[in-house]
Amino acid sequence: MTSTLKGITLKGSAELVAEFFSFGINSILYQRGIYPPETFTRVTHYDMSLQLTTDPKLKSYLTNVVSQLKEWLFECTVQKLVLVITCLETNEVLERWQFDIECDKSAKESSAPREKSIKTIQDEIRSVIRQITATVTFLPLLETPCAFDLLVYTDKDLVIPEKWEESGPQIINQSEEVRLRSFTTSIHKVNSMVAYKRTDSA
Amino acid sequence: MDLEDDTTVLTTLKSFNSFISRPEHPQRLSDHSAGSGNLQNQYKRSMELLEAAEKVHSINRYLQLDQEKKQMELSHKRARYELEKAASDSARDFEHEVDRNQELLGKIKKLEERETEAAKNLSDQMEENHALRKNMEGLSKKMEEQDSRLNTANQTIISLKDEIRELKQKIQNQDLTISAQALENQELQEQRDLQRRKYQDVSQLCQSLQAAQSSCSEHVIKIKELERRLAFQEQDISIMKTVKSEVARVPDLEKELKRLRDDNDFLRESRENCSLLKEEVEGLRKKLERMEKTKEELVNMELEKEKLQAWENLGQSTGLNIRKPEDLSREVIQIQQREIALKEQNYILNSRVRSVERSESELRTELSQQRNKTLEEQKKRETQDALVRRLQKRVLLLTKERDGMRAILESYDSELAPSEYSPQLSKRLREAEDILQKTQNHNAEMEAQLTKAQEETGTLKLQLQTSTNAHFSWLILIQPTESVCVCVCSFFREKIEDLEAERQRLEEQNNILEMRLERHNLQGDYDPVKTQVLHFKMNPTAVAKQQQIRGDQLSDVIKIKLLCFLQTSGCVADLRKQMESSELRNQRLKEVFQRKIQEFRTVCYVLTGYQIDVTTENQYRLTSVYAEHMNDSLLFKKGSSGSMQLMETEFSKTLGEMVALHLHHQKSIPAFLSAVTLDLFSRQTTV
Repeated sequence: MTSTLKGITLKGSAELVAEFFSFGINSILYQRGIYPPETFTRVTHYDMSLQLTTDPKLKSYLTNVVSQLKEWLFECTVQKLVLVITCLETNEVLERWQFDIECDKSAKESSAPREKSIKTIQDEIRSVIRQITATVTFLPLLETPCAFDLLVYTDKDLVIPEKWEESGPQIINQSEEVRLRSFTTSIHKVNSMVAYKRTDSA
Repeated sequence: MDLEDDTTVLTTLKSFNSFISRPEHPQRLSDHSAGSGNLQNQYKRSMELLEAAEKVHSINRYLQLDQEKKQMELSHKRARYELEKAASDSARDFEHEVDRNQELLGKIKKLEERETEAAKNLSDQMEENHALRKNMEGLSKKMEEQDSRLNTANQTIISLKDEIRELKQKIQNQDLTISAQALENQELQEQRDLQRRKYQDVSQLCQSLQAAQSSCSEHVIKIKELERRLAFQEQDISIMKTVKSEVARVPDLEKELKRLRDDNDFLRESRENCSLLKEEVEGLRKKLERMEKTKEELVNMELEKEKLQAWENLGQSTGLNIRKPEDLSREVIQIQQREIALKEQNYILNSRVRSVERSESELRTELSQQRNKTLEEQKKRETQDALVRRLQKRVLLLTKERDGMRAILESYDSELAPSEYSPQLSKRLREAEDILQKTQNHNAEMEAQLTKAQEETGTLKLQLQTSTNAHFSWLILIQPTESVCVCVCSFFREKIEDLEAERQRLEEQNNILEMRLERHNLQGDYDPVKTQVLHFKMNPTAVAKQQQIRGDQLSDVIKIKLLCFLQTSGCVADLRKQMESSELRNQRLKEVFQRKIQEFRTVCYVLTGYQIDVTTENQYRLTSVYAEHMNDSLLFKKGSSGSMQLMETEFSKTLGEMVALHLHHQKSIPAFLSAVTLDLFSRQTTV
């Protein structure tokens, strides 16, 4: 808890944001029913109860991605993280949860911590996750079996690590977009939004 | 009980019958002996006796029957007991039987099934039987055929036996001939020995002959040398003859020589003269050349002279002090310097013009700014004038209001008693006066602002005037361009307006584009120059898709495989063991086979004297043990019908006779081969 007194460093910020992504992705997967609800377990974090997956394959995948993401966050080379939900029958992209990451690259040079307490940052994160939970009310129901994928928008000069490959942006044809809350650690600013396929009835 | 009754009746009947049959004799006796009076008493007595006897008898009988009955009852009871026992046993047996029955029923069912199977098998068997019968028929036919063949074969065998007999006879004949030939052979060998001896003699003779030949050749060489010497001598003789003839010609020749010497002297002198003359000619020619050169120079000199005269004339005609080309160059340089100075001046002037133009444009912009300012100021002034007018109106209204209020107050004062309302009225009055004061103050402020604004406008006007003056002064400086300037100004203004309009349009477009960009950004678009999109290779979508594809493609195959696996899973281990063992066996067989083949080949080589190699398919190369060269080999090709044909090789070409005899005539490859072997063998051993 010394960091709360001192403020936040680049490393701490990267860890906080990565943690947010881990919880955020888990709660999206739970809320949108991509994985069956019985494979999730209840955890308390950010002073709220959250759902975490117990599926071993999904767990290993998420830890892989989030640890790599943490590295990129630390290097300030990541621009966006996108969670794409694809219909398995038609291969159509139905939802895109986009998290724009604005990195303050000056933090890379000066190691001086910023004056923002972890408590306030976590409050902001909590409100973002609450909003993600609340979006279920207006998002169309996913009726077909779906799978998800995580896209990371990085700087062009980044060397692609092993096990990773280039992908398309997976843009939704005819989408509606809704901006969600954003939070900032004063080093990384995360703007969240969700785009979903416009249904014919709407 | 009925039975017993019956028995009693029967017994009584029997006894009665016996009684009747017995007393017939005594009655008759009594009839005869006693008379008829006693007869009745006797009859009665006898009847009484009979009755008593009958009674005793019946009592006895009864007792007996009773006993019998008791016995019967006992036996009946025993029988009943036994029957019950038997019944229970039979019931138990019955149950057993029922169970057995059921078992048997089950067995029957099974047997029925078996029967059906057996029936099936039977039908199959029947079919097979049919097939077998057919086969049998075929076989019997074949058998018949074979029998017929056998018969024919027997016949042929008989004929062959005959042939054999004939051949045996032939062989005997041949043996005889062979023995005769052996005898001949011995004779021939003797002859050969004789010939060998002769040969030795001949060889000795040959050696002597060779020695003689060598001496002969030496002699021949000597003869040749002598002949050559003879030829030389003949040549010498001919040379001598010619020399002699030449010697005869000598005095004539000396004379001629003298003559020639004289001639020679004369010619020498003339030659010397000739060389002298030639030298003279040379000298003259050189002189001539020199003369020509001087002539050419003279012409050139004249031309130069003319040129120089022209120069002198030029100096005179131009009036300049040009006597020499240097003067001219100096003049030219001077002129160039002047030109450069002029050019510099020109540049300076141009730059000045440009600076003036620039300042003019600046002034123009300033002018336009100033005009804009004046316009703004005028607008301000107008607005302020309007304000002032409004304020004045308000002041008028307020004064009117005040007057009205005062009048009202006065009317109140006049109407009401001063004692009751005076304080209130005075308060109101004071309030009204305060308001008035405030409005007046406000008024004054507004007026002050107005004056300030007017002053500002005045100063601005002054500025404008000064600037316009300055501009005018500039304009005076550039009077001729003024009209053009005005035109240009208007043109520029139009242009500026156009540009402004365009700018606005572009701004709107920019806004629209920014909106779109934002939207695209929201949809997830990105700049491929700066950004790349990455994802984990084994992401859940990819995995799910792969599974789906695999599931679609292989579901049937998997099902089948699964079934097979289920069936065979037990046998897999056994199969593996079997496979391993069979592989091992294979390996061993291979080794054994290789060894055997090698052995067979060596044996073949040793026994037949031929090494047989398979070069290509259906081609066999035979190399004899006794071959003189490594490459001496015979090539055989296996034809389509299985017959072997000799191919032509270097070696086979040398065996023309044997080929003709053994292959073309006798048509026997083994004979040919053995003949070749014998030939080669004999060749090796004799040498």
